[in-house]
Amino acid sequence: MKKILISGLIGGCILFVFSYGGLYLAVRFFPSLFVAYNNPLFNSDGSRDALFYMHAFIISFSLSWFWDRFKGLFNGAFILRGLEFGFVYAIIALLPVMWISFSSLDITLAMVVSWFFYGFIQAIIAGIVFAKVNP
Amino acid sequence: MRCKNILWALLVYLPATGFVLPIRTERKLPSKKWVISQNSNLRVNGSTNVNTFSCVIPTYDQQDTLTIVGNTTDQTVALNGRVRLQTGSFDCHNSAMTRQLRETLKEKQFPALYIRFLSLNKLPAATTTPERITGLVDIEIAGINKRFDISYQLSQDAQQVIHLQGERIINFSDFNLVPPTKLGGIIKTKDELSVDFQLNMKALN
Repeated sequence: MKKILISGLIGGCILFVFSYGGLYLAVRFFPSLFVAYNNPLFNSDGSRDALFYMHAFIISFSLSWFWDRFKGLFNGAFILRGLEFGFVYAIIALLPVMWISFSSLDITLAMVVSWFFYGFIQAIIAGIVFAKVNP
Repeated sequence: MRCKNILWALLVYLPATGFVLPIRTERKLPSKKWVISQNSNLRVNGSTNVNTFSCVIPTYDQQDTLTIVGNTTDQTVALNGRVRLQTGSFDCHNSAMTRQLRETLKEKQFPALYIRFLSLNKLPAATTTPERITGLVDIEIAGINKRFDISYQLSQDAQQVIHLQGERIINFSDFNLVPPTKLGGIIKTKDELSVDFQLNMKALN
């Protein structure tokens, strides 16, 4: 349990910097990709900003538990283990969620594809961290 | 004896009238009425940190008139009349942006915004050459009323259509509205909006 929490916390900090730093840079250098977010579908009044910024820790703790449960299935060097972990998460969790999101919400294909890759890269980074901290 | 009577009359008349200020009578010019036609429009331009937007109410579906009353004594011009615009008529040429603007303007609670005309700084000549004038208006958005000084350009074309074009920078915060932010504040809409309207009118005889 302690290992799950520690690797979850370390992964959360790294993902926080990566995720929001990456988002900030993407908005700065590719602003046109974010025009579609000016949509009432997305929270406008800032009331959920704290929840938004907690996401890095939520996903890290969830993946940390998943890693601890199934880490024996991922073999090889730590980078390979992280990559495979990212693929598994992307196929099992992200793909169906993105599918249902695109089919039911008024969002663009570019948005869904970017969310898929964003989550995929988050899971690879988390997997690499977990393979190092909790092998 | 006659001189004495005149002197008496002056003595009575002068004190009785000498301290009375002359009454200034306001001389009002006959009022003019201008009927607003349907091809009048209003445009709102704004920006976020990722794009700019331009939202328009392309037509005016009401039958309203502006009454203009000039005053020769102090050159002021009273302007009476208002324009009622449906918030739901805004079109930002992008369905998501359109819905976002309507939501920001609290369309469900306040389905209309108003421009109430109050005065002009001078009586416009209404010629084919655009004339720059200024005037006071009250703008009501989301139930909040604010007074603004507006710059206008007024002209009249060959078909006797009067074109009144007004523009003004306003802020969302002037009307207690919060400019939307997205993704934890990473995408921000700027507080400042440029409002530009064009009223096309016909004079009523």
